[in-house]
Amino acid sequence: MHGLFRWSSKWWPGVIPLVIFWVIAAWTSTAPLEADLAARSTASLKDTVLDKSRIAVAGRDVTFAADAFSEEGRRSAVASVEAVPGVRLVDDETRLVPEAKPFVWSAERDVVRVTLTGSSPLPASKGKLMEAARAALGGVEVVDQMNLSRGAPPRFDDAALLLIDQVGKLKDGKIAISDNKVSLSGIARDIGGREAIAAALKNLPEGFSVASNEIKAPPYIFQAYKDPVAVTLTLTGYVPDNNIHPAIVAAAGRKFFSEKVVDNLKTSVGAPGGFAGAVVPALGALSRLSTGTLVVSDREVKLSGDAFYDAAPAQIRNSLLKDFPQGWQLKAEISVKPAAAPVDATVCQQLFSELLGKGTIRFESRRSTLDPDSAGLLDRLVETALRCPTTNIEVAGHTDTDGENAANQALSEKRAQAVVDYLVKAGLPASRFTAAGYGSTQPVAANDTDQGKAQNRRIEFVVKE
Amino acid sequence: MIYLATFYWGWLLASLLLGFAMGWVAVVHRGRAVSKPIARWLAVLVAALVAAALARVVPGRPGYWLDLGLIMFALYLAGCAVGSWLRDRVLSGDAKAA
Repeated sequence: MHGLFRWSSKWWPGVIPLVIFWVIAAWTSTAPLEADLAARSTASLKDTVLDKSRIAVAGRDVTFAADAFSEEGRRSAVASVEAVPGVRLVDDETRLVPEAKPFVWSAERDVVRVTLTGSSPLPASKGKLMEAARAALGGVEVVDQMNLSRGAPPRFDDAALLLIDQVGKLKDGKIAISDNKVSLSGIARDIGGREAIAAALKNLPEGFSVASNEIKAPPYIFQAYKDPVAVTLTLTGYVPDNNIHPAIVAAAGRKFFSEKVVDNLKTSVGAPGGFAGAVVPALGALSRLSTGTLVVSDREVKLSGDAFYDAAPAQIRNSLLKDFPQGWQLKAEISVKPAAAPVDATVCQQLFSELLGKGTIRFESRRSTLDPDSAGLLDRLVETALRCPTTNIEVAGHTDTDGENAANQALSEKRAQAVVDYLVKAGLPASRFTAAGYGSTQPVAANDTDQGKAQNRRIEFVVKE
Repeated sequence: MIYLATFYWGWLLASLLLGFAMGWVAVVHRGRAVSKPIARWLAVLVAALVAAALARVVPGRPGYWLDLGLIMFALYLAGCAVGSWLRDRVLSGDAKAA
């Protein structure tokens, strides 16, 4: 032992190379050691849910900063870094994610974008919400402005996922959760969307309730376009139910005697009150235009196009306003079509015959009141009469053989007179027209079938030089 | 500690061998010896450094370097002790043989 002390006094020269070794060892091992410890520390946190986790290693000391979602999670994260072999000290800079009170989350949609804002409880649920939003809103940009907070109500994820599905049914608007209250505002994208959202809200998870639902239905649109070139009437938009649908299409068929009716209507709930009562007269008004568009949006009717003669716009407007149910509004932008070139008497007669070959002037049964469905045809006859201003025209009424001859004679005269009255009201000089009734004396078809009788009940225009 | 040893075992082995060589030589070395007061002061210094390392008061990289240096020094001393002891045994064996 004594020898060891004696010898040790002579061990010092070896310290010089030892110091050199030490410097080289420190020089070369520090960076790899730090990298290795950082990798091991990061790996030890793999199964821990943290936000903004950051690890910095100096020597064997680890500075560990992170946002944890519970005190327990925070402590276990620090402990698992401390347990990494080789780590000397852990500088604990972890904290808890701030608690949101109230816990507010919202999804806001404008036409092209959905923005998710507010608080989300965990990174996983944030990701899940983003994914659900992308899936529910195919093609729409989804912007994530959510932060992470503690204090979410139980079953928050389920509620938010259900609401994200509803955002897909909105054109624009906002759906928000504040603690466990849900509020909604905006406009549904489709007719019926508002009702679908209201139904879905019944499935909100237990504990959640709807504080306010101010989703508005989109305007209930019905459109009709009269195309003079294709000779079609195209109906698009919505009708309330399967009873009104064929009724409207049939009314269009009666009013548009020469146009083919293209029916692209869909059935949906949400129609304003008095829908059929407003749309049928509006179609009648459209039938009196040479070309035109009818747009019914909720209770507002927009009619635009060209009438056949100067007096028509005012007549159309007034008769519509008279027929509309209460609460309906009319916006009419009716101009008058430029007058067509004058023609001679022969062509004029031909045009009258063509028109009356395509359509028949109708009256109320056994009476001389003009059926409003014939207004379109009558306006076309007025236009033709304006093209041959020098001619005189006989308006001839005919009936079938039903009933007594005297009554038929009187009826045919009265009906012819009603037509003349219509023409005069349209601005044509009364002196050009004579009303004549022929009763059932000049049939054009046999009176033994309903079809033949219908052909015989007619008004003819005879041009006289 | 085992982790650290596996991480730079080469340097530790080098320190040990260096100590062994120094210890082997020291027995027959005729050079200057460290005087007792200086040896005492050095012992105090080393004790202070060990205390600082155990208390972990030196932060970050210098703390790591201190640990590394002390471990290397400890192994050096162990090497010296073994080297001197063995050399002494060898020499006394030779002497008996002679």
